[in-house]
Amino acid sequence: MISAGTKLTSPADLESFAKKLRSSEDKASRSVRVCIGTGCAAKGSRRLYELFVEAAEQSAQDVTIEAKHVGCHGFCERGPIVVIQPGDIFYQSVEEPDVPEIFRETILGGRVIQRLLYEDPSTGKKAKKAEQIPFYNVQHRIVLANNGIIDPTQISDYIKIGGYAALAKVLTSMTPDQVIEEITKSGLRGRGGGGFPTGLKWRAARDANGGPKYVIANGDEGDPGAFMDRSLMEGSPSSVIEGLTICAYAIGSSQGYIYVRNEYPLAVKHLSLAIDSAREVGLLGNDILDSGFTFDITINRGAGAFVCGEETALMASLEGSTGEPRPKYILPVERGLWSKPSIINNVETLANVPPIIVNGADWFTSLGTDKSKGTKIFSLVGKIKNTGLVEVPMGISLRRIIDEIGGGIRDGKKFKAVQTGGPSGGCIPAEQLDARVDFEELTKLGSMMGSGGMIVMDEDTCMVRLAKYFTDFLQKESCGKCTPCREGLAQMLYILDRITDGEGQVGDVQRLEELAELLEGTALCALGKTAANPVLSTIRYFHDEYDAHILQKRCPAKECRGLFRYEIDAEACKACGICLKECPVGAITGEKEVPHVIDQDKCTLCGTCWDKCPFTAVKKV
Amino acid sequence: MGQEIQLIEQIVDRYDSEVGMLIPMMQDLQAKCGYLPTEHIRTLAKTLNVPLSRLYSVATFYSSFRLAPKGAHEVTLCMGTVCYLKGAPNISEAICKEFRVEPGGTTRDRLFSFQAFNCVGACALAPVMIVDGKYYDAVTPQSALEIIHELSPADETVDAAKKEDSA
Amino acid sequence: MPTVTIDGCKVEVERGATVLDAAKKAGIWLPTLCYHPAISTGGSCRICMVELDRGDWRQLITACNYPVRQDIIVYVSSERAQNARRGVMELLLARSPESEELKALAERMGVKDTRYPTVTESQRNCILCGLCVQVCEEIIGKAAISFASRGVDKTVAAPFRQPSEDCIGCGACAAVCPVGTIKVRIHKDTQEVEISPFKSRAKLLVCKECGEPIVSAQVAEQALNRLDFDIEEFRELIQLCPKCRQRKTVASFETANLKLNNMAYK
Repeated sequence: MISAGTKLTSPADLESFAKKLRSSEDKASRSVRVCIGTGCAAKGSRRLYELFVEAAEQSAQDVTIEAKHVGCHGFCERGPIVVIQPGDIFYQSVEEPDVPEIFRETILGGRVIQRLLYEDPSTGKKAKKAEQIPFYNVQHRIVLANNGIIDPTQISDYIKIGGYAALAKVLTSMTPDQVIEEITKSGLRGRGGGGFPTGLKWRAARDANGGPKYVIANGDEGDPGAFMDRSLMEGSPSSVIEGLTICAYAIGSSQGYIYVRNEYPLAVKHLSLAIDSAREVGLLGNDILDSGFTFDITINRGAGAFVCGEETALMASLEGSTGEPRPKYILPVERGLWSKPSIINNVETLANVPPIIVNGADWFTSLGTDKSKGTKIFSLVGKIKNTGLVEVPMGISLRRIIDEIGGGIRDGKKFKAVQTGGPSGGCIPAEQLDARVDFEELTKLGSMMGSGGMIVMDEDTCMVRLAKYFTDFLQKESCGKCTPCREGLAQMLYILDRITDGEGQVGDVQRLEELAELLEGTALCALGKTAANPVLSTIRYFHDEYDAHILQKRCPAKECRGLFRYEIDAEACKACGICLKECPVGAITGEKEVPHVIDQDKCTLCGTCWDKCPFTAVKKV
Repeated sequence: MGQEIQLIEQIVDRYDSEVGMLIPMMQDLQAKCGYLPTEHIRTLAKTLNVPLSRLYSVATFYSSFRLAPKGAHEVTLCMGTVCYLKGAPNISEAICKEFRVEPGGTTRDRLFSFQAFNCVGACALAPVMIVDGKYYDAVTPQSALEIIHELSPADETVDAAKKEDSA
Repeated sequence: MPTVTIDGCKVEVERGATVLDAAKKAGIWLPTLCYHPAISTGGSCRICMVELDRGDWRQLITACNYPVRQDIIVYVSSERAQNARRGVMELLLARSPESEELKALAERMGVKDTRYPTVTESQRNCILCGLCVQVCEEIIGKAAISFASRGVDKTVAAPFRQPSEDCIGCGACAAVCPVGTIKVRIHKDTQEVEISPFKSRAKLLVCKECGEPIVSAQVAEQALNRLDFDIEEFRELIQLCPKCRQRKTVASFETANLKLNNMAYK
């Protein structure tokens, strides 16, 4: 806890303050950490936290117990997550009735409650600590290292584990040029989707003429299926702030912005608290740590536009305008916000900066591949057993992520494809699972790294319908400024609608490819240029599904209504008569004890029988 | 009448009349009034010395802004990729059919406003529905309807419907 | 001064001039729609796409706003550039099937027809180039109209889709519309000028003598306000239509009490 009036006026102040915090840690011999990230909070973890605090306060025992709320561990599906020290005991799916038992047995008694431990779905083995869970132990957490450990609302927690030491080092012993050199040497590339070398960007901004210069943290994570930036901003907001401050020092800026999606209220709250605290102790504002460097940050919220994740649209939004992208023939590092030299970096990129400064560029380059250094956070979601956030070194194979970390496909189904890079990316089929995950590899496969979303699909997913979903999403989010994106996406959607409705025509696929090429070449911004990727990649790897839809009017995955048939499984049918009664066209015949049958000629493929059958005897064929 | 001038001046002051902070200003206005009333927008344009047409552009560009009053409750359904894969469109259809409302609209009795979001970042809990800020996970068409049916009707809703009928 | 080699033809341009400027200088024609020399924005319609040589690859760029800062090589007639322009035009023709101006431009480009059906209906025959919005804001200074909504729902509208209070009925938007969608309508019965599709109406100044409509009253007012002197004669003349004004001027010569000097022109 920071006492009122604490002011850190020099790097030495910061260091001694951190030392003091670390030494006082021993006072609390037991601690319970409750995750209050959006995922666990949705399952009531805040109440759990309150109960633990109460229990700790009322405890008559003479041990000091610290109850702390922490940020997202990334394993949201198993939430609420509670971790007990000593022992790093990892409990999942904790509910209110469990609290007294946990308090009595584990916190006071040091005994483990087996039923609250994670159980490996394949082996049945229980894991006591997080590192025993494959989901965690294959990971290499740098950016997410603090999540789950520190209380994101207390800057002292961040300082205790070494926070702001990087900034102190930069302000005392590095020139802006040296900072840029270190970041360049590290090979850090943008984590928001573009993958542009961060050091080069900073160099260009530093060299640009004119001022004032601005630095902006992009927290407008819009890719559906991606929530790593949310977890980072909620769980360790000071990492982002420290990274942004170092960036500002490097390029010579005194005003920074953090642009956060409106849909992330907790992230906005925690970032605001972190900024206020930093100001209070003197880590933001005038003459930080007696260095002469002045810098402050404003938080702006998005207002519901995916396109504002694009840097020029984001800047337009910061200027009080509609979020319409601008030409980048002159780059934002030269002419950006208010036509001044500006840097925009994704929050994950910025959170990599303090560790690089503290541990050195060489440490960072020891991880990853030739051209993609360090780690990347992916959100592994969809039809997979273990869903959540995973931070892994670049270069790990897709197979390892999906099988080892993800635990494979759930419900005994077969893997079909994994979508990476969100709506700007593409799907990767089973044959390519041994591909190593890095910027170049994914692009070669027709997809891209994007912000790190990895959506796993199984055999029940229609790839044509998926392409339509993404196209529809992009059409809704298109700003509408340029002809190819606005009209081209509408034309593509029109064709995809026809195909999934069973009205596809020969030549449709070719038409889609023509439109895709047109968009890629002529669209104004990255949204439009990459908009056809989902369509192109599904055509590339699942051409047969398009053919089936168009030529045979059949949906092999049995998702597109009207493009597959229903049949009653005679063995499963209990002749209850419900389907017969509900069928709107009287296409089902049958009597008591006689398996019912659907007359395919009469059947309108409405699916009511499938909905209503209590014995799941109606099958899609 | 004078009320809106006061509120607008308060908001504009909060951001030092910086035109770049227009969107936060409009967000604060909507947080106070529940939507962006026409007269308030006109006043904001005058106070900031920015053309009204620009404010209208901004108000209609971003999905989160509403130019009409919202319902007593706010129901948001996530339509992100994972929620979509897990059946969000069916849930949306069920809600639209049952309550005769479109995404982005408000039910006639002003019970709730229905919005479809493009991803709320809680993908591991898909399908996700948020009602008045409370998150519900693993929602089905049935459970979604149940949750909404349990919403307490606001007192004004009946009167509002009556007014609309006579209009 | 940097040199632009455009379809093999070398021209020198000022640093910061656009590729379109270079093309004009070289006498090479490029279609444009959203570009206007008097207006600051552009580059949204994408009809002026050309290829820029980048060494081992070629980038498609818009000529109207690409700034020339060093020697560059540009291809206008390459297959890829032509296909890009054709593709954009076909999309526009689908959007604005009734615009004669657009069809004429397409013909000039060699695009006879479009392979696409009309699927967007938010504002038929409007290509959303934004020239009307910009001319009203930048040149007339009224900003009476702007873009509303986004994506396929984007339209050009007056605030709250009500007839704009700021519109002065000057018709500049109609004058600058490249596809002839915006129309000026004179309503003699109500003495108003209407700009469609914005539904704005402005009162017309009518001739004191013969009653013919002359110009929007507000435009006349604005014009007078721009003078830094005030002459009674001007105020009189502006209330007459061109015909009556002419008659009055001629009449004033005839009644002038001037001696006619016979001047011999040697």
